[in-house]
Amino acid sequence: MNWIQVLLIVAVVALLVYLLRSRTNAKAKAWVKVGYVLFVVAAIYAILRPDDTTVVANWLGVDRGADLLSYALMIAFVFTTLSTYLRFKELELRYARLARAVALQSARTPDH
Amino acid sequence: MSSIDTSGVWIIVPAFNEGQVIGDVVADLRSAFAHVVVVDDGSRDDTADVALRAGAHVVPHPVNLGQGAAIQTGVEYARRQPGAELFATFDADGQHRVKDVLAMLERISGGDADLVIGTRFTGSTIVRTPPLKRLILRTAAFLSPSSRRLGLTDAHNGLRVFNRTVAEHLNLTMSGMSHASEFIKLADENRWRVTEQPVEILYTAYSLSKGQPLLNGVNIVFDGFLRGKMRR
Repeated sequence: MNWIQVLLIVAVVALLVYLLRSRTNAKAKAWVKVGYVLFVVAAIYAILRPDDTTVVANWLGVDRGADLLSYALMIAFVFTTLSTYLRFKELELRYARLARAVALQSARTPDH
Repeated sequence: MSSIDTSGVWIIVPAFNEGQVIGDVVADLRSAFAHVVVVDDGSRDDTADVALRAGAHVVPHPVNLGQGAAIQTGVEYARRQPGAELFATFDADGQHRVKDVLAMLERISGGDADLVIGTRFTGSTIVRTPPLKRLILRTAAFLSPSSRRLGLTDAHNGLRVFNRTVAEHLNLTMSGMSHASEFIKLADENRWRVTEQPVEILYTAYSLSKGQPLLNGVNIVFDGFLRGKMRR
């Protein structure tokens, strides 16, 4: 086994442990965790037998497994960016509503 | 000059760092209206104190949120005041004329509109909008399906007059400059009766320097696309 394989597997497993230990919003996160476990299994397999990704790539009409991975990565990145953007907008709205409640409580009226 | 009763009218002025001019704007408004509320959007200058001294109610945002959020706050403050029947939004930089508000109030008092929006592009007044700004504003109005459906020519005019129906249901979620198109979309979705009134915009050096950069149009279009994807 290469050193890079050891490092990648340790990193992936560490992320898994970290994710499983964080517990917020039980139901929605549960599916994320299931998905993540599947991802980790697939990742470890791909790390140990990198050539097998090429086989999958060929099924899909892509020459190399590495190319397939970079395509998947791009899509995952765009997805993450968008969902983060929407999440931020939603938080901004809540923040605005909180600030508005504070503002309405501290309104000042003129004397005349 | 006008026969309408202004005792139930609330003028909403969103303001951010307008200490230099807000005093005159409020004083001018107060000469015609009893109720003016300035929403101080987290200004770092003395906007709030100056506005209060000039006779406005002041609702201070603890942090800067943007003009859309300030308008929403102002409307929520005004609509809970006893006797509030009609509402107007009015920019703090002195680009609008009190005369135009009175004319718009008269128009809405006729009862055949819920919302009257100012436009700088129709009517007989000589329009002195800078050409590039004019082109972009016209394009923005044309690109918005709601604007087209409602037959509006000026998507981003800060001068609006509306009744309780609109004030009760107004729920602007776009905090920044995209609120103008959101306002029109809400009008379209809620089937408010909308009409336009020609108004004059006073492009002073001050108001031009405070105006939004034209590039902001890109943000506005982008926000418009995303708005539907958010939970409200």
